[in-house]
Amino acid sequence: MHESFRNMIFEEQAEVIANIHYPGDQFILRLKAPKTAQHAKPGQFIHIRVSPDRSLRRPISIMLTHPGKGTVDLLVKVVGDGTRELRDRAVGEILPLLGPIGRPFDLSDTARRYVMIGGGVGIPPMIFAADALNGQADTAVFAGSEVEFPFALKPSQFLLPGIGGNTILGIASLEERGIPSRLASNAELYGCYEGYVPDLARDYLMALGEAERSRCILLACGPHPMLHAVARLGRELNLSTQLSLEEYMACGIGGCAGCVVKTLEEDGEHYRRVCVDGPVFSADILPGFA
Amino acid sequence: MYVVTGLARQYKAYLIVIGGHRLGGRLAAMLHLMPDKPDLSVAFAGLKLQTPLVLLSGCVGFGEEYTRVEGFSNRDIGAVILKGTTLKPRLGNAPHRIYETPSGMLNAIGLQNPGARHVIEHILPHLPHDETQFWANANGSTLEEYAEVARLFDDSPVTAIEINISCPNVKEGGVHFGNDPVMAAKVVEAMRPMTKKPLITKLSPNNADIAETARCVIEAGSDALSVINTLVGMAVDIESRRPVIGNISGGLSGPAIKPVALWKLHQTRTIAAKHDIPILGQGGITNARDAIEFAITGADAIGLGTGLFYDPLLPRKVLDRLAEYLTAHNISNYTNLIGTLEIQA
Ligand SMILES: Cc1cc2nc3c(=O)[nH]c(=O)nc-3n(C[C@H](O)[C@H](O)[C@H](O)COP(=O)(O)OP(=O)(O)OC[C@H]3O[C@@H](n4cnc5c(N)ncnc54)[C@H](O)[C@@H]3O)c2cc1C
Ligand SMILES: Cc1cc2nc3c(=O)[nH]c(=O)nc-3n(C[C@H](O)[C@H](O)[C@H](O)COP(=O)(O)O)c2cc1C
Ligand code: FES
Repeated sequence: MHESFRNMIFEEQAEVIANIHYPGDQFILRLKAPKTAQHAKPGQFIHIRVSPDRSLRRPISIMLTHPGKGTVDLLVKVVGDGTRELRDRAVGEILPLLGPIGRPFDLSDTARRYVMIGGGVGIPPMIFAADALNGQADTAVFAGSEVEFPFALKPSQFLLPGIGGNTILGIASLEERGIPSRLASNAELYGCYEGYVPDLARDYLMALGEAERSRCILLACGPHPMLHAVARLGRELNLSTQLSLEEYMACGIGGCAGCVVKTLEEDGEHYRRVCVDGPVFSADILPGFA
Repeated sequence: MYVVTGLARQYKAYLIVIGGHRLGGRLAAMLHLMPDKPDLSVAFAGLKLQTPLVLLSGCVGFGEEYTRVEGFSNRDIGAVILKGTTLKPRLGNAPHRIYETPSGMLNAIGLQNPGARHVIEHILPHLPHDETQFWANANGSTLEEYAEVARLFDDSPVTAIEINISCPNVKEGGVHFGNDPVMAAKVVEAMRPMTKKPLITKLSPNNADIAETARCVIEAGSDALSVINTLVGMAVDIESRRPVIGNISGGLSGPAIKPVALWKLHQTRTIAAKHDIPILGQGGITNARDAIEFAITGADAIGLGTGLFYDPLLPRKVLDRLAEYLTAHNISNYTNLIGTLEIQA
């Protein structure tokens, strides 16, 4: 059975503190939302009204929180009208949000090594998870993008087995906190692995000794093909794998059953709600990801 | 309902005189001399609702979801209607199940539910029945199934049973019953002997003559009406050229349907009033102004559905504004607002 998860969700009138635009129609939004900042856990998201005229809110993962300052950071890519309107929100504007929402990643077993695989706007939850585990457990972050990364990058100071050649860059903010990371892209970006990010993670995992590899837990968030590849990798190497999923949402608090994914559990098939039963699910119960 | 202190008595007449009611109300409220807060409770099919607000089926799960939102209180709610329930569990439709449309949304959940027995044995016992009432939303694909669901819920803590003969998202039953006044009446007749709890029949706007269906279900023993369910609609993904909704069509809800809902309410009100049958008005209510429009048109209770997706704390906001409105218009209780629509001859 997929155990139920429940936490308190807050409604906050969040002020836009910063909105920085990056190539590839990406932007990082910093919002003042003290309660969300205080309570959020990696893997959780906010449900935000991008403008008063839109019927439905938009679900966006939490990338980082600064509980002291009461802010949360989001990384968003414009894919349609809602995200475009969000991009155009100016500093000082107020956006109503609900947060934090959803089942977070299970990061409880600090004796394990967490291998995090993020693609595009699936990178943010990996940054939050890596940050939370920093100093607690071993981690390695692999991030893939087909457009320029919306982060400062720098050559990694950490050697990772199985990874060499030109794959030298990591995410600067992670590097500075001692968290190893590497990047993948098919867009011929300097310092990145040429190919898809699950293949980069695979090279790393295969180069680990058997004992070290079996200690790994995979976490992933990103586009469907990437999640499929990570689910296959986890199955092939017999590693516990947690996937963070996306689905269209209406309420975002478990009321409408609009946001479901099919699961296969001991007692048969279910449709589970991505908003509150997820967004993080064990790949074991996701027949759609193989 | 005035606060009867000596001072208040002295000022009362004066405040009413400067009426235009709004100014008087404001001034009096400032001076703390105002009538007590207006009474928002309302009688509905033999039940007493603590407020006229009813959370609509399918929008609030099985009654335990919204209390996870800080600031939400069941005590603001007259009744919570549980998700549509069938006799056997239903998996529901494949995604995508919902989609945003201009001023509203489409949904095709497909009545995902764990079956009436599970709801009664495993969900109802855990709900806070002292905080608000919970109503069932009964569904079926045969008359026998509707009757059996009613029989099961009769022996449960729900205080009323809403009959969904208007679900557009299942292949059998649902709206197929609701679109035919004779069939609709048969569903009510099948359920009536199975329960003493109030039966509320939920009418479909996709219905040619809603007043006629209302008449038929009232004569078949329905204690109340619920007006309206969603309108059928669809959306297309122009890149894949596929319908966005997995079920192809979905039910349209939200502000886009509000004018239709008001008109259907108006059409059913005459026949309902003749039989002294209350109506749960609904369709696109997202603020107090909408709610008041429904009350004036003849909604004894006011349903919030899609509006909760806009704002889960909507109930409190609607109640506060509704109370202000009643006070400003010198109406001492909500009941006196119901059906006060004035139509010039
Ligand atoms: C839990 C979760 C976390 C997410 N985190 C991020 C993030 O950190 N950064 C980011 O850029 N995006 C994220 N997304 C995706 C983001 O919600 C969608 O890109 C966005 O809703 C698209 O809205 P739109 O109006 O621009 O696009 P349109 O395609 O015009 O949207 C139409 C409708 O479909 C919905 N929709 C379309 N695509 C998606 C999708 N992939 N997921 C959910 N709903 C969708 C929209 O919400 C809207 O209701 C996340 C989605 C989920 C479910
Ligand atoms: C996601 C969703 C699920 C719904 N499920 C049900 C249901 O199970 N049974 C039912 O009678 N009505 C169902 N409805 C209809 C609502 O109860 C309500 O009648 C309708 O949405 C109109 O009101 P609104 O515009 O305020 O949402 C559903 C509506 C939505 C949006
Ligand atoms: S969006 Fe309503 S249940 Fe998930």
